[in-house]
Formats: sequence, structure tokens, C-alpha cells
Amino acid sequence: MDSAVSVSGLVKTFGATRALDGLDLEIATGEVHGFLGPNGSGKSTTIRVLLGLLRPDSGTVRLLDGDPWHDAVALHRRLAYVPGDVTLWPQISGGEAIDLLGRLRGGLDPARRADLLERFDLDPTKKARSYSKGNRQKVALVAALASDAELLIPDEPTSGLDPLMEAVFQENIREVRAQGRTVLLSSHILAEAEALCDRVSIIRHGRTEQSGSLSELRHLTRTSIAAETARPVTGLDSLPGVHDAAIRDGRVRFDVDTDHLDGVLRHLAAFGVRSLNSAPPTLEELFLRHYGDELAEDGVRLAGTDR
Amino acid sequence: MSTARPTLAGTGALVRFALRRDRLRLPLWIALGAGLVASQSVSSQTLYDSPAALVAYRDSVGSNAATIAFAGPPVGLSTVAGAVAFEISASVMLAAALMAMFTTGRHTRADEEAGRTELIRAGRVGRHAPLIAAVLVSALACVAMALAIGLVGTATGLPTGGSFLLGASVGACGLVFTGIAAVAAQVTESTRSAYGIVGAVFGVAFVLRAVGDINGSWLVWASPVGWAQAVHPFSDDRVLPLLLCLVATAGLVAAAMTLLDHRDLGSGLLPARPGPPRAGPLLGSPLGLAIRLQRAALIAWAVSLALLGAVYGGVGDAVETLFADNPQAQVFFPGASSAGLVEAYLATIFSINALLAAAYAVSSVLRARAEESAGRAESVLATATSRGAWLGSHVTVALLGSALLVVLSGAATALVRGLSSGDLGSFGRLFAASLAYVPAVWAVAALAVALVGLAPRIATGAAWGGVAYVVVVAMVAQALDWPGWVGDLSPFAWTPLVPIEAWTLPVAVGLGAVVLVLLAVGFGAFRHRDLSTG
Repeated sequence: MDSAVSVSGLVKTFGATRALDGLDLEIATGEVHGFLGPNGSGKSTTIRVLLGLLRPDSGTVRLLDGDPWHDAVALHRRLAYVPGDVTLWPQISGGEAIDLLGRLRGGLDPARRADLLERFDLDPTKKARSYSKGNRQKVALVAALASDAELLIPDEPTSGLDPLMEAVFQENIREVRAQGRTVLLSSHILAEAEALCDRVSIIRHGRTEQSGSLSELRHLTRTSIAAETARPVTGLDSLPGVHDAAIRDGRVRFDVDTDHLDGVLRHLAAFGVRSLNSAPPTLEELFLRHYGDELAEDGVRLAGTDR
Repeated sequence: MSTARPTLAGTGALVRFALRRDRLRLPLWIALGAGLVASQSVSSQTLYDSPAALVAYRDSVGSNAATIAFAGPPVGLSTVAGAVAFEISASVMLAAALMAMFTTGRHTRADEEAGRTELIRAGRVGRHAPLIAAVLVSALACVAMALAIGLVGTATGLPTGGSFLLGASVGACGLVFTGIAAVAAQVTESTRSAYGIVGAVFGVAFVLRAVGDINGSWLVWASPVGWAQAVHPFSDDRVLPLLLCLVATAGLVAAAMTLLDHRDLGSGLLPARPGPPRAGPLLGSPLGLAIRLQRAALIAWAVSLALLGAVYGGVGDAVETLFADNPQAQVFFPGASSAGLVEAYLATIFSINALLAAAYAVSSVLRARAEESAGRAESVLATATSRGAWLGSHVTVALLGSALLVVLSGAATALVRGLSSGDLGSFGRLFAASLAYVPAVWAVAALAVALVGLAPRIATGAAWGGVAYVVVVAMVAQALDWPGWVGDLSPFAWTPLVPIEAWTLPVAVGLGAVVLVLLAVGFGAFRHRDLSTG
């Protein structure tokens, strides 16, 4: 089995709203796959379809070589889900909820449970009513991570966690990957995806915009260059792949398509480079370029798209 | 909006906001109250159109403890208007109390539990403002219901003064329960428990006044419902009980404000106790979870219904006494024996207990829907739990729990009746009679299951509508002189009134088939639909 998740042409409508509009998603077994997109782009809807909680209108969906709608129970023994908005039973303690969810999934490892409670610094005797959002999220995370599930599906799992706990989460995901398990990590925190993911899919309006490894995607984006040269730089604008060049007082700033980096640096060297700063393309930049276009149409300017 | 007391800052804005949120709910409640009175007024004036008919009515009612137990004090029955007030005041007061409870609860504890109060209180809003705004909105609704009842009473030909006094007594009952709900909302952390407390207070208040009215004793004055009914509109026209209600309301609201001052936002009066760090063996299956979630409510219902059954079983003697003391009644029920009247009374008690059990069953089935819309079902259904097992767990609790309620209340009634009549040999027969109502209870519950499967978004309202329908059909359809088919849809109308009527197998089998079909529809639809949150 090569694919843990295989989705193509997935469509899901709610009344007049087309939440998913032909979405494709391919996740290889053993990889950590980032599922990125802004709020309302269809990430959670996709996950609910993968869990058999929603029924797709059309398209094919395979999960762990099964049909998520018809084989839901059998598949759920092999996966663990962390909802984006964790709601727990107010009168049930965190420890009880962890055990309940673990048992319903088919058991959890008591030693790992104890270890996770300690690492996430979670008091299991508190009733869920008195937990903060972050602590409710920890309950769901401990229940999921203490299982032996082949596939983990955390939906924006760190949105309520502090930076320390985020680090603990990342550590755990790395351990999960080291064990050869698969992770579908839905997120809009790009630094997190960059730190953890082998491959990412970026979705918008219920459709997949980009999919690939981080280095593949970086290739599609631009590097920001700031240089100081001995002589004023000329002819930069005529080079292929250069954008938004600005020359002032012997300093030059521009963005360059990563494909054309080599040619541009050769050109620059002829003017006597005294200092050079290059900002590697981040996922954030990629993200902003994808969605920034749309925001710019609406009159919103983003810092990241100006450069 | 500036006010003299800073703890009340923002009250006006909150009142307007609450009225905006309730712009549909409150008019519906008020229309329900006014509609019940209008319907009763029209049908009573048609039924008792001659003095002779009115005399016959008065004699039959004055000797019927069951009617008194569920209606109120048998006063003013010499006029049609007095008969209207006697017949309908208990139902309308229940509606007013429920309106007050839901209105007050929704704008206090429910908002607080959901975290909305935190957002509101972070603005320029005083500490007491949300509570007082909720009380004011509920009070406004009570006053509006009072005026609406006065208007429809007058419009349908009842004396104007008495009509508005009847309305005032209903509104006063609503005001007291506004105060009770305001206090309950301070005591508990969960809205559900707050409603439980208010419901229990209403139940106790209703039983106290029922016993008081039957025995003609002071117990009536221990009950807020008793105060409201002591107004005796269209006959004695007493105003003093209304003042008593107002004073009690003011005291309760003041108490709620004091309680609010002594607790933190989001908490109740009792400090939250830590729970166990590990789950017990119960929390290992969907059924175990459903039992755990519904345990407290089931215990509360079981205790209440057992007590209610015992109280009404004990009143059986009064039925005989009233009959023996009333020569006209013996003329009105030719050939009736006091023993027969007791049986009729017990049949009424059993069906009332069964109606309450049906209300429990529906609330229990709807727990599944509440879990779904809160998003908690999603967490469970993402584990190796099938849709059928998950819904089945709540339905199992609903069906077995409601059967348990029927058994307990039936046993309590039969036992206390046996003890007080000195004829314990009747226990087995009476207890078995009470069980005849279980299929009807399950049919109402199964309708709720079908609704949860087919139409989740309207299931809660529609299922409670079903309960309201069977209650109205059982309690007032005959008095309201509605066409026969209106009542024929109720499973309780199919059920023979055991023990005065004989239990029949075909009816039980027929109702059983209805239950199975509705359950199959509900489960089938639930398996094939999207999970629906929010």
C-alpha cells in the first residue's frame, strides 16, 4: 500500500454552498502531509469526509485502502483524529475522556498515556468544563497520540497551544513519523508545516492549488535579494525572472524566481558585490502570493506581497 | 446607556438585544397562553350553554379528585367564566412558568456556559446587568401574556375584570418562576441542571397545591402555583395573592443578585470537584457513555415520578370521600360506585405518569441530537463506533429509562393505594395496569428518534411538539370539544384506560409495530445522512 489517502475530484455541497469543488489529495504512507489553506477553504470538510462523517456528492475517496463511508468502523480502528474545535463532556474529567476515546478506538498504551500527560503538562482530574481551549486540545492530542493508529489526523491541533506545548507537539509528530506512521496535518500555521511536513497540499475554495514537497514548492516561489554593489547595477529589469527591482544609493533590492537565481547572481557579480542578503522563500510567502492576489483585488495590501 | 448603579450599566442595551434574540420565541409563548384561554373560553361557553348543564358540570367536577388534582381549586364553578378559569389555569400557568424558565435561563446561565457572558461583561456592562436584563425580559413577557389573556378573555365574552385578573394570576406565576430560574442559574454550572431545579420546584409546587386543593388544606399556601390560583378570578377576585407573588419574585431576584456577588463568572455556588484521573469500567462503550451522561437526569426523574406516584396513590381515599359527600354526583354518575371512581382516578394517574415518562424519553432521545450539534458525537464517531451503536446507546437509555419510570411510579401508586385502602392484594393488579401505558410512551420516543434521523435541525422542536400534542390531547381535548380525528393520532388515545378499561393485545401489538417502524426509519436515515453540527 503506497497511498494512505487518495482523493480525486471530491465535491461536497451544503445547499447552495460548494464547500469542496473537485479537490484532489494524495498522501503516501509514512509521510507527514501538510494540509494548508485559509479559514473556510474546506480543510475540515475534507477531513470529515475522510472520517465518513459527511457523505461526498461525487469524486473518489480512498483511505487506508478502504471506503471511508462504508468501512468507517473498521478504518477508525486504524486512525486517530484530533478535531479542530475540541468539545468534551463538561461533567467528565480529562483523564476519563482520554480513556473513553482510547477504548472506543480499540485501546491505548497506558505507559505512553502517562508519558504524554507529563509532557503536555495536563491535569487529568479536572472536569472538562474547567479546561481552557488549549487544555481541551491536549486531551484530544493525548488520546490520539497514546494510540497505535497508523494514521493520525490532527485538524489545526496547535491553535490553542502555547509555544512550549507546540514544541512538544512537534516532537511527538517527529516520533510518530520515525515509527513509520502517516500524519495528515491540517494547519494554517506555516512555520509548523515547514518544520514538520514532508509534503504539503495547499487548497483554496475547496480545490487543490498546489501539491508537492517543500523543495518543489519553494522552486515555484521567489527569493528576495538585497545587495550592496561597488557600481550601480544596470540592466536588472531586462533579466528574466526579476520582479520589483529597486535601486537606491548603491543598494539593490529585488525578488527573483527561484528558477532564475543562478543567472541573476552572475549578472550581479559583474558590479562588484560588497554584501548580499538573500531571504529563502518561505511557505508563508508562497501562501501570501496565492491568497494575496485575491486580497489585492479586494483592495487589501499585504506586507509580504509588496516586496 | 447610563444608569445610577454602575453594576447595572448596560442593562437597557442587553434588554433590547435579548428581545431581538427572542423576537420569535416570546410571541409564540404568549400566543400559546392566550390561545389556550381563548379555546377554553369558546368551548366552555358552547358546552355549558344552559344553567342545567353548568350545574351538572359543577357537581361532577366538585366530586372528582382527579380533575381537582390537575386543574385547581373547585371555586367559581357557578359561572361559565369560573369554569373556564378552573379548567385552563393550571395549563396556562405551566406554560408561563416554562416561558419564564427558558427565557431567564437562556439569557443567564446558558450564555455564561457558552462563554458569551464573558464577552459581554468585558464591555461597559455592570456585574448585575445580564441577570437583571434577563429578569426584565422574562417579566415583560409575563406581563404581555397577562394582557393577552385579559384581551382574549374579554374578546370571547368573559367578564373584563375577571379576564384580566386571570391573566394577572398567570403572569404572577410566571414572575415567581422567573425569580426561581434566576436563583437556579446562580447555583449550578450547567444550564441543564438549572432547568432541572426549576422543573423540580414546579413539580413540588404543583403536587403541594394538588393535595391542598383536594383536602382543602393550608398546603396550597406553600406553593407558588397555589398562590397564583388563589386569586379565584370571576368569583372571589382576590388581589392579595398577586402581591404575595410580587414580593416573592422581588425576594428571589435579590437573592440571585447576592448569590451572583459571591461567585466567579462561569462557576456555580458549589466548588468544582476534581474528577477521577482514569475512567472506570463503565466508560468503555457507547452505551456506557450514554448511561454516564444521562444517569443524573434519570435518577432525578425516577425519584420525582416515584414520589408523585406515591402522593397520588395516597389521595385515592379522598376520591371516595368526595364522592360519598356529594349526593348530586351520585345522581350525575348513575350506577357509579365509589370503587369505580377510584379506578377511573387511578387510570388518569397512570396515564399522567406515562405522559411524564414520555417527556423524559423524548428529552433522553434528544440528548443524542444535543451531542451531535455540540460536536461531541464527532469525536465518538471518529473512533471505531458505528452510527447505529452510537444512536442506539442513547435510544436504549431512553426506552429502558422511560419504562423504568413507568414501573417505579406505577409501583409507588399501587403500593400506597394498597396501604391506604388496606387492600394490598390489589397491588399486583394495579401495578400491571400501569404497565399498559409503556407502548404509548415508546411510540412518542420513537417519533423523536425518527425526527433525529430524518430532520436533525428541527428534531428538538418537533419532538417536543409531539409531547405537547399528546399532553394536550390527553388533558384538554375533550373539554375543548375538538373534532375526534385531532386526538386519534395520539398513541395515548389508542391505549385503553386501564384499569377501568380492559387491556387488549391488538392495541399493544399495533403500538409495538409503530415503535419498530419509527425506530427503523430513524436509524436508517441517521446512517445515511451527514453528521450535522451547530
